[in-house]
Amino acid sequence: MVVGDPKIARLLEHPAIWRGRSAAQRSGLSTGFAALDEYLPDRGWPRTGLIEILVSRFGSGELTLLVPALAALTRAAAARWCVWVAPPLVPFAPALVSCGVVLDRVAVVGGARPLWAFEQTLGSGACDAVLGWVRQVKPHDVRRLQLATERGRTLGVLFRPRRAAREASPAVLRLSVEPLAAGVRLTILKGRSARRDTLDLHWPGS
Amino acid sequence: MADLPSTRTAEAPLRSVRRALSPAATTHELWAGVHLSEFDPTQGLEQLAIRAQRFTPRVSLAPPDGLLLEVAGSLHLFAGVTGLRHELTEECLRLRLRPVLAFAPTPLAALTAARAGQPLVVTDLAQLVGQLAPLPLDALHWPEETRARLARAGVRTIGAVLRLPRAGFARRFGVAQLAMLDALIGRTHDLRKAFQAPLRFRRRRELDCELSDQGRLHAELVPLIGALGAFLTARQCGVMELECRFVHRHASPTRCVLTLAAPCSDEHQLAALFGERLNALQLPAPVRACELRADQLMPQLLSGRCLWQPGEHGGEAAEQSGGLIDRLRARLGPEAVYGLGLRQEHRPEGAWMTTPPPPAAARRVACARATDTPCEAAPPERPLWLLPAPQPLAAQNGLPRRRGLLRLVSEPERIETGWWDGGEVARDYYIAIDPRGVRLWVFRERAAPHGWFLHGIFG
Repeated sequence: MVVGDPKIARLLEHPAIWRGRSAAQRSGLSTGFAALDEYLPDRGWPRTGLIEILVSRFGSGELTLLVPALAALTRAAAARWCVWVAPPLVPFAPALVSCGVVLDRVAVVGGARPLWAFEQTLGSGACDAVLGWVRQVKPHDVRRLQLATERGRTLGVLFRPRRAAREASPAVLRLSVEPLAAGVRLTILKGRSARRDTLDLHWPGS
Repeated sequence: MADLPSTRTAEAPLRSVRRALSPAATTHELWAGVHLSEFDPTQGLEQLAIRAQRFTPRVSLAPPDGLLLEVAGSLHLFAGVTGLRHELTEECLRLRLRPVLAFAPTPLAALTAARAGQPLVVTDLAQLVGQLAPLPLDALHWPEETRARLARAGVRTIGAVLRLPRAGFARRFGVAQLAMLDALIGRTHDLRKAFQAPLRFRRRRELDCELSDQGRLHAELVPLIGALGAFLTARQCGVMELECRFVHRHASPTRCVLTLAAPCSDEHQLAALFGERLNALQLPAPVRACELRADQLMPQLLSGRCLWQPGEHGGEAAEQSGGLIDRLRARLGPEAVYGLGLRQEHRPEGAWMTTPPPPAAARRVACARATDTPCEAAPPERPLWLLPAPQPLAAQNGLPRRRGLLRLVSEPERIETGWWDGGEVARDYYIAIDPRGVRLWVFRERAAPHGWFLHGIFG
């Protein structure tokens, strides 16, 4: 029996069967980098769901990767908020503005209990995107966060250290980011596609 | 144009015209008089007046024991007099008041009938005198001396006093009493001052025993919050700041302030938020009383609902945003949620500021402006992360170190400003790359020690 067999083709039409390749037809949120759009399963960031970005060092370029998409989200006509939960440093407003982010749509949640605040924010339905920096996350916490993104129809981005790659995660997409001279090296650790190769992404204009 | 005067009289529904013609204009009104017996006059009457405002906007107090409502316009909403009487009685019973209700075309007649204990219903002015006639004179609350003199003359009912000659009555018993009789039967107008509900809420509750358990305190607060909810609904207002004071026996009261993002009048939401705040509250001593205060009321604007869910194309999230801010603030404190803003300032640490949380709905103007800005001349590159304060870096051979020697990859950008306000800076900023490839924003002081500092991370 080969894949081209009409019997198998008919079987595969069953709606309960989900194939990795079919995900590529769904439209994601454009990342602002053409090469990255090609590389990601949904041709961009998923519009709903939790993604994890694993970095060995804070500041490896993970935020630069996201900012064009955030700028597009905040400029939309009926934009909801873009919330930063427990950022480790101050998000520098002039840099955000020069990247095209509308500050009117950006809110920052600081203080204690970042995990609780992250889940509340994701599940509230008031945000288009929520970025969260949470130190200690257990797999069942990630599951709760993933469910909250579905409740709130939100893109959740969880930044974690590189060593978390060993743990299983219910996130829809896991990316590892390492810095290059003028860009980043990306690896999909988990995603709805078969690609496991790395992508060297160079910042435009550098 | 010849028939102009006649049209004016025929068409004009103007009370002024008809009032001038005949005082029977008051038949358009129907007053409900409420007489309360056995109650606490300081609180009960006002509370009832506040609640009665859900029946009609024209409520007036008749101290010490009466309340008047003009209900002609509201009858059809409450299934007529019977329905209204039922609802009004229920409202009184909820406040543990026992009312006598009477309906009449003039306020004084309604009140007098109620005070006399007669639950009359008179909708027609023509029948008013006949219905009032058997009522005793005491219900008019005239001075004791006047009543005694009338009683000596054998006049004990309203019917009897109305039969007395006007001129003689005025001469013997006073013009005021005659005017009152005229108002009673609708011969003259009886203008009543409308009750204005007080625009702040303060209510205190003494606890049966001293409490220090937050959960039980919250249970004690719930009725107060319920009263606040009814208070706000009656005025179509919401609160944005709410204060609760917990009174202790010896220590000074503990204040617990709840600040909301949007005007709120929902008692369940307020109670839930107070629960969050109470959990975080440290009480120095057991609580013997609590007081709820809302001093500033905000008119609550009802907004149209969008067809789309938030997050679907075109769906906004106005309600969700307010609720989210309130929940986060209740647990994390009022400073936990903020927005970001720009300031015209060259020093990086002063070029941004925290603002109140952004509005729930996107502003189109802001969007248009933001799309224009990138077209301007390319500004110098700025890092996405700023350190709260510059962090000193070690130096080696004149170059900064941070987990290894840093490599400077940009031309210096000089920022030298602030000499006029005491915060003078003179710095040369560079973009640097550390051995692990992280891009940093560092600067070198131009002043004597020429120290290196880390000020941002490009992220």
